[in-house]
Amino acid sequence: MHRHDLDLIAAFAEGSLDDATEARALVESCEECRDEYQAQLAALEYLASVPRVAMSDLERAALHRDLWTELRSPPGKKVATPWWYRWSYVAAGLFVVLGLAGVLSGLLRGGGADTASVDVAETFAGDASSQGDDSAGGQANPLYGAESDGGSEGVSTTIARAEEALPYPFADLADEARARRASGDLPTESSLPDDLAECLTRLGLDDQLLVDDLDLDQRYLVFMEEQGSGAQTVTFVAVDGCEVVYVDG
Amino acid sequence: MTSPGNDAELLARVVTGDREAFDTVMRLHEERVFSVCLRILGDRERALDATQDTFLTVFRKVRQFQGRSAIGTWIYRIAVNTCYDQIRRAKRRPIEPLPDHVEPSDPGAEQAIESAALRPDIEMALASLSPEFRNAVILADLEGLALPEVAEVLGIPVGTVKSRVFRGRRLLARQLGNQNT
Repeated sequence: MHRHDLDLIAAFAEGSLDDATEARALVESCEECRDEYQAQLAALEYLASVPRVAMSDLERAALHRDLWTELRSPPGKKVATPWWYRWSYVAAGLFVVLGLAGVLSGLLRGGGADTASVDVAETFAGDASSQGDDSAGGQANPLYGAESDGGSEGVSTTIARAEEALPYPFADLADEARARRASGDLPTESSLPDDLAECLTRLGLDDQLLVDDLDLDQRYLVFMEEQGSGAQTVTFVAVDGCEVVYVDG
Repeated sequence: MTSPGNDAELLARVVTGDREAFDTVMRLHEERVFSVCLRILGDRERALDATQDTFLTVFRKVRQFQGRSAIGTWIYRIAVNTCYDQIRRAKRRPIEPLPDHVEPSDPGAEQAIESAALRPDIEMALASLSPEFRNAVILADLEGLALPEVAEVLGIPVGTVKSRVFRGRRLLARQLGNQNT
């Protein structure tokens, strides 16, 4: 059935047409249209028989009490741990195991142990800094780590590969985001909402310039421009509830 | 739904931290937010949690409301997204078994459940629809939102809403076995 016909028949069933002549003729002349009309009527009748939902007085009281309790509590207590933190711990563990294996191997071979232990300490310290809260330095940004590491399996690589499809609601805006990036029509720097600023700090992204608030609950597209790289490299990152869910760049 | 003038005045007061104004906003919209959440989530406790989360977000983000839509539409959009978040989080969490029997602790709620329960046949038919059809039908036909409002809430074009509502109704009728009655 043509889209126009379905619209017309549905509107006829709703009784919302000013002039129903065309719709009536359609329904009378076509069996499929008649079936569609009956189906729309039946569904509307069923839906009209569904009673309204009501909150009980106790539910309403609990809602107001809990809400104001929550609003009076200090902010920031419900910040979620980014999921990729777990992988950074796994990576750290792997470094330690491999390092210890290297040390043991060096000891068994008799010599070179000092060098091996220095390497392990440096590697581990480097990894710890990438997952820590202090992200003031440019290289602490986990999203640029993989590029500057020359393709090593860093945290950012995991993020970028983990999500191949852009999840709701970002999927609707991905094309727009890419077009804006291509045309250079990027958001200007503005003061960030407190929860997003806190979130970006936690994610190690607080050195970024451009943030676009989608005006949705804790969902943001963060346009990031790599500093000091000469050419403009803009990545957009989807942040949902203080969690990086997608990286495009 | 409130008029834009009332909305603007109320919001201006909420932004200044006026608790009474926020209470007014809540009382105007909480019933419908709860209703939308209950119909999407199918569970009163989860719907109440989602309603609370919705209004927390409204309070914290009220400065970001730009008045391009009615405040109700903005709030329902937050509510729908909060429900989506709940569903996503629930998928990640392991399911805890329910106790065999739960004593009703709130007789008012029991009564409300009885009076407001969807008819089981319609509930099952609605549950069988895919979320995009179900949510469009819930908002348009059960909550009575106009199609442009549904479009704002779901973040999709009006034409898509129409298509989802009409096709959702057709599927619903089929599920209920009344396609040719």
